Amino acid sequence: MCIWKYSTAEVAPTDMIFLQQLRCELRKLFARPRTWMGYGAFVAMEALILTVYKLETSQRHMRGIVERNGLEFSTYYSSLTITFTIMLLSMFLLGSIYFALVAGDIVAKENEDGNLRMVFARPISRFRLLLVKYTAVSLYTFSFVFFVGISGYAMAVTAVGWEGGLFVMEPKMKVFAAYPDWSEGAARLALSAAGIGISMITLSSIAFMFSCFKIKPAAATIITLTILFVDMILQSFPFFRPYESYFITWRMSAWVFLMEQYISWPKIIESFVFLVGLNFSLFTIGWLAFQTRDFKT
Amino acid sequence: MLEAIDLNKSFGGKPALKDVGFKLERGEIYGLLGHNGAGKSTTLGIILGMVAPDQGEVLIDGISVQEQRSKALRKVGAIFEAPAFYDYMTGWQNLKILMSYSGGFDEKAACEVIGRVGLEQRIGSKVRTYSHGMRQRLALAQSLLPEPELLLLDEPTDGLDPEGIKWFRDFILELRERKGMTVLFNSHLLSEVELMCDRVAILREGQRVFEGSVRNLSDEIPTYQVDLEAWSAAEPVIARFGGSLLQAGRIALPASVDTAQVVEDLVKAGVRVREFAKVRRSLEDVYMEILDGRGSPN
Repeated sequence: MCIWKYSTAEVAPTDMIFLQQLRCELRKLFARPRTWMGYGAFVAMEALILTVYKLETSQRHMRGIVERNGLEFSTYYSSLTITFTIMLLSMFLLGSIYFALVAGDIVAKENEDGNLRMVFARPISRFRLLLVKYTAVSLYTFSFVFFVGISGYAMAVTAVGWEGGLFVMEPKMKVFAAYPDWSEGAARLALSAAGIGISMITLSSIAFMFSCFKIKPAAATIITLTILFVDMILQSFPFFRPYESYFITWRMSAWVFLMEQYISWPKIIESFVFLVGLNFSLFTIGWLAFQTRDFKT
Repeated sequence: MLEAIDLNKSFGGKPALKDVGFKLERGEIYGLLGHNGAGKSTTLGIILGMVAPDQGEVLIDGISVQEQRSKALRKVGAIFEAPAFYDYMTGWQNLKILMSYSGGFDEKAACEVIGRVGLEQRIGSKVRTYSHGMRQRLALAQSLLPEPELLLLDEPTDGLDPEGIKWFRDFILELRERKGMTVLFNSHLLSEVELMCDRVAILREGQRVFEGSVRNLSDEIPTYQVDLEAWSAAEPVIARFGGSLLQAGRIALPASVDTAQVVEDLVKAGVRVREFAKVRRSLEDVYMEILDGRGSPN
């Protein structure tokens, strides 16, 4: 029998290895049918919202709101406004479920399936492994929001054409704005997509943290959604209104301020710093739990 | 190459390993035996840094796994029973992913190893379509990338057909012969361990109860096949020589005993001796004796 001969690969610089590991992690993430189910579900939801928008009753309702504010309905019944509505409605409903599902799976599912044993036979530290996975899940979350925005906009364009302004009304966060010019509306929409993306990373971080614990992937997802919904419900109690800025979901909704006519950057930065700090804490807790675990068959 | 020093581990207050230690020299194939729950997988987990020991440490090439895991595992490959790959990806993609955790993908090396394990035709197929034997071959391929010096095999031949088991054994023996690879082999298949390993350790309830050379097993506690009449008269004679009854028709005697003298004394005691022949004990005999508590801990 012949014996192969090969030289050991030259050790690549650490940052290059990290990028290679990240690429592999993303490839793994996107090779799973469950990941694509999310995309399919969102496209279906966008189509549904669009259909509702095309109904005469919906148009009448929207016309009422726009015209009551002294604006011209034909300018704001547009692809940009529909896209904004799609993002606003779908993200917190369907988005939270899918992000919690994907992030809840990322560590716990691999442990459940036994893949982690194969990984742990490799000279990679647990911290680095988690960092690669967390980066992958954050990129997935961020890019997914843009997918929803772009696909929603594409569908809206086929339905109502590309022209028109952007009408924004979010009563809960008390945001009202109108951009008659398409380019300004589009820029604000892109900015808000980035804001939603950053906000939703917090949701993924919660699920990721639970995924690092010794629990089933489904449990990580359910606990995350429970926290999110309890936070949302408590926040709506009149008693908690003075303290609403302490609630995670309120901070996660702060991206809407990016749609205000005059952007209050300190208010937005404060919320995003809160979320980034929270993400960092969640990652650290997850890592500590993961680090102290024994992995045994 | 590998040294496990006084490993202790408890799970929920229940001891899983008690002062387990052993040392593997470079190029040696070492078998780890024991019943289910004896502590074999825990030992392997500690060697790979998956399980933190309560006490003790593992050194690979002098580097502590517990202190510098990434550095210590740089030259280690491992195969597990029922290896779990990413089933929804191809064999090639799996290799790429696993190699990325070892510092980078070497395509040339991967191609050569795939050829060696005979997976060229199916490496582009999804792993979910692989048979158990093919999964084991892929597991072997990943464990050999990049070029390890120590191979940890946890029940690697479980579920393989006899042909697959032989292929696997020949492959590992060849690796040792040509590349001087050190192998820690954890298996239930005693015949395989006997054929492959230089030395074995037997674990019982988390303790190492035996360690010895496989080739010298028959010499350490010589066993004899005997056909005697009047066992009640024979037993005191055998006991006087420090021997013991193993099972029907088999006795063990210390290596220093003159068997001619034993036969003579048996005859003098009125025992008719029809057969008295030395037999080579298999690893299975030793294993069963030790687990039954008849063998002496070492």
